[in-house]
Amino acid sequence: MITGSMTDIRPQDQETLVGAEALATPAIAVHKLSAWFGAQRILYDIELLVPPRRVTAIIGPSGCGKTTFLRCLDRMHEVVPGARATGQVLLHKQDIYAPGVDPVLIRRRIGMVFQKPNPFPTMSIYDNVVAGLKLNGVRRRSLLDEVVERSLCQAALWPEVKDKLHKSSGVSLSGGEQQRLCIARALALEPEVLLMDEPCSALDPTATAKIEDLIHKLKRDYTVVIVTHNMQQAARVSSLTAFFYLGKLVECGPTTQIFERPLMQQTEDYITGKFG
Amino acid sequence: MHKKWLNAALLVLILGATALGSGTVTLNAAGATFPAPLYFKWAETYNKVTDGAVQINYQAIGSGGGVQQTIQKTVDFGASDAPMLDRELKQAGATVNNFPTVLGAAVPTYNLPGKPTLNFTGQVICDAFLGKITSWKDPAILALQDEANKQLLSGLNDAAAKITIAHRSDGSGTTFVWTDYLSKVCPAWAKQVGAAKTVNWPAGIGGKGNAGVANIVAQTPGALGYVELIYAIQTQIGFGKVKNAAGNFILASLSAVKAAAAGTKLPDDFRVSITATPPDPGAYPISSFTYLLIYPELSVVPSMTKAKAQALGQYLCWAINSKVKGGGQTIAPTLAYAPLADEVSAKVVEAIRSRVKFDGQLVINPSKPGFCSR
Amino acid sequence: MSRTLPQAKKAWLQRRRLPWADRAFWATTALFAFGILLLVSLIVYQLTVSAWPSLTKFGLGFLSGTTWDPVDAPGHNLFGALPFIYGTIISALLALLIAVPLSLGVAIFLTELAPAWLRPPVSFAVELLAAIPSVVYGFWGITTLIPWSRAHFEPWLAHSLGFLPLFQDRGSAHDMLSAGFILAIMILPIISAVAREILLAVPSTQREALLALGATRWEVVRRVVLPYSRSGLLGAVILGLGRALGETMAVTMVIGNSPQILLSLLRPADTIASRIANEFTEANSPLHLSALIELGLVLFALTLLVNALARLLVWRVARRPEGTMHV
Ligand SMILES: Nc1ncnc2c1ncn2[C@@H]1O[C@H](COP(=O)(O)OP(=O)(O)OP(=O)(O)O)[C@@H](O)[C@H]1O
Ligand SMILES: [Mg+2]
Repeated sequence: MITGSMTDIRPQDQETLVGAEALATPAIAVHKLSAWFGAQRILYDIELLVPPRRVTAIIGPSGCGKTTFLRCLDRMHEVVPGARATGQVLLHKQDIYAPGVDPVLIRRRIGMVFQKPNPFPTMSIYDNVVAGLKLNGVRRRSLLDEVVERSLCQAALWPEVKDKLHKSSGVSLSGGEQQRLCIARALALEPEVLLMDEPCSALDPTATAKIEDLIHKLKRDYTVVIVTHNMQQAARVSSLTAFFYLGKLVECGPTTQIFERPLMQQTEDYITGKFG
Repeated sequence: MHKKWLNAALLVLILGATALGSGTVTLNAAGATFPAPLYFKWAETYNKVTDGAVQINYQAIGSGGGVQQTIQKTVDFGASDAPMLDRELKQAGATVNNFPTVLGAAVPTYNLPGKPTLNFTGQVICDAFLGKITSWKDPAILALQDEANKQLLSGLNDAAAKITIAHRSDGSGTTFVWTDYLSKVCPAWAKQVGAAKTVNWPAGIGGKGNAGVANIVAQTPGALGYVELIYAIQTQIGFGKVKNAAGNFILASLSAVKAAAAGTKLPDDFRVSITATPPDPGAYPISSFTYLLIYPELSVVPSMTKAKAQALGQYLCWAINSKVKGGGQTIAPTLAYAPLADEVSAKVVEAIRSRVKFDGQLVINPSKPGFCSR
Repeated sequence: MSRTLPQAKKAWLQRRRLPWADRAFWATTALFAFGILLLVSLIVYQLTVSAWPSLTKFGLGFLSGTTWDPVDAPGHNLFGALPFIYGTIISALLALLIAVPLSLGVAIFLTELAPAWLRPPVSFAVELLAAIPSVVYGFWGITTLIPWSRAHFEPWLAHSLGFLPLFQDRGSAHDMLSAGFILAIMILPIISAVAREILLAVPSTQREALLALGATRWEVVRRVVLPYSRSGLLGAVILGLGRALGETMAVTMVIGNSPQILLSLLRPADTIASRIANEFTEANSPLHLSALIELGLVLFALTLLVNALARLLVWRVARRPEGTMHV
C-alpha cells in the first residue's frame, strides 16, 4: 500500500520538471484540494499546477477520483446534493473557492465536456451549439451561424450535420457524434480553460484522431485538462501528466518523463498495465 | 336482473339475521332524510321495547329514493316527505298507504341587524322570492311590521336593505313545503315556478342542505331564506312569523305545527297538503306531514314474510298511536319533531288496522291489536 | 458441433421453456385492457339508456337550453344544460389559471431550488393537502374563504377592476370566483405532486450540461428542465383539470348553485357535477331523473373532449426536431 507521502511533490518540484516559464503563471493552481460525497472522502489534499496553453492529462484507474477532480476545477462538484470540496483552486490567480465568488461566473470562463455525452434533447443541433451563447445574450444571427460552423468544424462534426442543423435534435446523433456535439457546445464559448472528461471514449479511431488534432490546435490558445484512460492518447496530446490513485495525486510531471522514467513504483505499475 | 341481485342480497342479510337470533325480525326501510334522526331513535327504542325481537334498518337516502325503492319493492317500507303521486302509485301497481308520522315546517330566516322578529305574508315572501321585492324597505314589507321593526327597517341604508334570496340547492321536502305554500297563496308563483322538491328559482343563491342555506343567510347581510323548523330550533337561528289562514301572524313552534294538522280535514288516503289551509287560529301555515309508505298487500314485497308483516304493523302503531305510553309520538317532541294531533293519530291507526294485509289477512289481529288499541 | 451437445441443451436451444407463460401473460393483460374498454362502453350504454327519455325529448336542445325547471307540471319539466356546461368549463379554467402557476412554482421550488432539508416537509405538506376530503375544503370555503372574499378581496376587485364586465355586480361571494379558488386549492396538490415527480425525472446530467455553460438555476429551469418535461407537465395539468371538472361537494358549497350564464365572475353559477349531486337523490319524475343522467353523459363527453384536446396539445408540443426523445 502506498501512503499519503506521494502527494508530497510540491509545486516547486513540479516546476523543475515541467519548466519554470510554463509554471510561473499557472492557468490553474490547485492547493490542498479535498472533496467529499457526503461522508465519503474522494480527494485528499491535491496539489497541482496546470500550465497555461498546454494540455494536462489526468490518468489513473477507474474510480480514483479523476472526474471528481475535474469537476472541482469549475465548481461543478458542489452541484451534486451532499457534495463539497475544500482547499484552493486559483484560476489565473483568483481563488474560485473564495467566499463571495459566484460559481456561475467561474463556469462561464471554463468549458467542460462530460464523460457521458449529454446534448439537450429538446434542442436542435444548432441550438445545442449556441446554448451557451444564448445564455450570454448573444442573439445576432450571423454571429451565431459563424460560431456554429466554426465549433462544429473544430469538433470534426460539421460534414455529418451541416444539412440537418435545424431539423434534427441533439439526441438523433450517434453516441460518438453526440460527444463531438458536446465538445462543439463547449468550444462555442471560447473558454479560457477546457476540461475534457474522456472525450474520446465513445469515438472511432478516425474521430479520435480528429479530436486529438483539435486538442493540438486548441493548446495554442487554450489551457486544456483532459482525463483519459488511453495511455497512447495521453502520450500523444499532453505535455504534462498527472497520475491519480485512490483519491491522491501520486505523481505529476512532463508526459515523457511520466511515461518513460516514472519516479513512483505505482505509476510504473499502472503504465505498464500491472493493474488498473 | 339488477333487482334479483338486490333481493338475493337482502335475503342473505335476512337469513343471516334470523340465524343469529332466532325470532329476530329485521325490517329494512329507506327514504326521507328530514325525519331520519327521529326514525333512528324510534328504531333504537323499539328494539329495546321488543327485547331485541324487532330490528329496523333505516337508510336515509332521500324521499325520491324512498319512493323509488318502494315502487321497486326492494325495501320493506319506504319513507317520503311528500305523499306519493298518482303516477307513482300506478308505477307501484297498488294503492300504497301513505301514513303520516310527524310534521315538518319551513320557516323564513333572514340576516338583519338587531335580529328582529318580522311579520310575513305569503304574498310578501312570494314577491321577494320572485325577485319583485328587492328591498327590506319595500312598503309591502313595512306595512306588516310593528312600530319598532318598521323603524328599524326604514333606517337601513340602501346597501344593507338589499334582499338576497337564499334557497336550497338540493332536492328536499323543505323546498316542497315552501314552494307548495307559495303556490297556494300566490298565483304568480304557481304560474311561474310551481311546487316541487327542486324548482327553477327565479332569484337567489343556492345552498346545500339547511346548513348551506343558514350559512348563506348568516354571512350575507340582508339575506332572506328558509330552513326546516327543527334545524332553526336546534341551531337557535331566529325566524319570522307568517300570517295564517285565520289572519294571525304565527311564530312556528311544535304546537303551532301540530295545530296545522289538527285543523285540516284529512282525506282518506292522507295524501294532502296542509299548507295555508288550516282554519285553526293558532296553526302555522307552512307545515306538512312526512310519511311512511306501506303496501296494502305486503306479500307483494319479495322480502316480506308473515312474521315481518305483523312486526311491521305493530311497529307502525307503536310509532304513530299517540295513546301508546313512551311510543313514537311521545318521543317526537323530545327531538323537536311536531307529533300528530290525537284525532289524526287515531285516524291513521284505524287505517293501519284496516288497510294492511298479508296474503289477504289483516296484519293487525282485531282481537289482539297490541299497540293498535283504540 | 451440435452432435457434441447434450440432448437437454439442444432442446433448450430449439424450444423456449414455458411457451404458454408468454401467451398467458399476453392474454391476461389483453383481458384487462379490453375489460376496461368494455366497462366504459357499458357505462356509456347504461347512461344512454337511462337518459333516453330526456335525449329523445330535448335532442340537441338539451345542450343549448338555458332553463332547468324540474317541477313536474304542465309548462314546466324543461331541461337545458348550457348554464351547467358553461359553469363547469369556466370554473375549471379559472382553477387552472390560479393553480397552474402556483403548483408549477411549488414543484420547481421543491426540485430545483429548495435546500435539501426543506424538501421533505414541504413535499409532505403538499401531499397532505391532496388527502383532505373535498367537503372539508367546501367547509373552509364557506366559513373562511367566502367571508374574507366578500369583506376584502371582492370589494377590492370590484373597485380596481370593476370596469371589466368580469368583476361587476358583486354579491355575497357565493360565486364562480370562489368556486375557482376552491378548485384551485384542491387541484394544486395533485398538479404539484405529479409535476414534482416529472421534474425529478429530468436527468441531472441535463442540468449539469447547462450549468457548466455558465447558467443560473433559473436559466437551467427555463431552458432545460421545463422544455425537457413539458409534455409530462401538461399531463399533470390535465390530471388537475380532470379533477376540477368532476369535483362536486366543495363546489356546490361555494358556487351559489344558480344555473345562469353571466360574464361576471362575482355572480353565482352552477356546474354539472354539482347539480347532479344536488338533485339526484330527490329526483322522482322520470324525465328529471333522465335529464340528470344526461347531464352525467354530457360531463363524460366533456371530459373526453378535454382529454382529447389535451392529447392533441401534448402531441403538438412534443413535435420537436426529428429524433427527439418523447419524454
Ligand atoms: N454522485 C456520487 N455520489 C457518491 N459517490 C460518488 C458519486 N460520483 C462518484 N462517486 C464516487 O467517487 C469516487 C470517484 O469517482 P470519479 O467519478 O471521480 O472516478 P473516476 O476516476 O472518474 O472513474 P472513471 O475512470 O471510472 O470515470 C468513486 O469511488 C465513486 O464511487
Ligand atoms: Mg470519470
